[in-house]
Amino acid sequence: MLSIGQLVDMQWKLGMAVSSDTCRSLNSPHVSLLLKIADTSGQISQRSFEMTIAQFQNFYRQFKEMAAVLETV
Amino acid sequence: MAAISDEHFSSLQILLKAPSKDAVRQLCADSFPSGAPESWRLAESTAGTLSVSAIEAKELIAALHTLSHHILFHNLTAPEQILVLFPKSFHPSLKNLITKIMLEHSPPWRNEALSNQISLPHLVEMDWRVDMKTASDSVSRMAVPTCLVHMKVEDSSCLRGSGALSSVTVELSKETLDTMLDGLGRIRDQLSVVAGK
Repeated sequence: MLSIGQLVDMQWKLGMAVSSDTCRSLNSPHVSLLLKIADTSGQISQRSFEMTIAQFQNFYRQFKEMAAVLETV
Repeated sequence: MAAISDEHFSSLQILLKAPSKDAVRQLCADSFPSGAPESWRLAESTAGTLSVSAIEAKELIAALHTLSHHILFHNLTAPEQILVLFPKSFHPSLKNLITKIMLEHSPPWRNEALSNQISLPHLVEMDWRVDMKTASDSVSRMAVPTCLVHMKVEDSSCLRGSGALSSVTVELSKETLDTMLDGLGRIRDQLSVVAGK
């Protein structure tokens, strides 16, 4: 079927930045995601990106909303 | 990163020539960004404000930059921690003013440092849509709900903050979405555990 890339896998990591050249004591959590996307030929590409905790909460909320909508159609 | 030295503190005393406390405040803010110690434009405008030579102004900016970054790096949050850095002979009122200004600026400077850390590209925007697939060239009638998610991610090959974005569009079936929600739920659980520590 004609389609955009299909999401086939999501890997995640919750990291805590401990220290950096600007701040000796950071203690800053962040979420990293790796998405694996298959195109129609089966070729897999990947995209990874990072989110702050606030961004992650928003991200999670959007996906829950999507699921809620899916229940109704 | 340069360590603070006595030369830095003697440069800081040039601030006694500042026309007002706000001028000192502005100078502390202008000296913070990376690149400030190298900026001749900043040195010249500072030289004008303080009626000193451009060289002296440049040394002052470098001193303020080193001091503010030292405070940020060691996360000095109490006035005593900063006051103790100054030599005993340093002008007392100026010392208190500089300390006060540095403490005022610490929270926004720390936030700036947190958001500028080395990291993977950031997710900038996300849109989504729920579609109903009703027909295709291979299936004449169907009713398959599907999610389309469009994400804009900073382009890591370009300079951070250059605004260059790359787009990712993916489709998720209901099963995939449920699995993904499961994974995201686990992240959220872990976050609660970490936050509790």
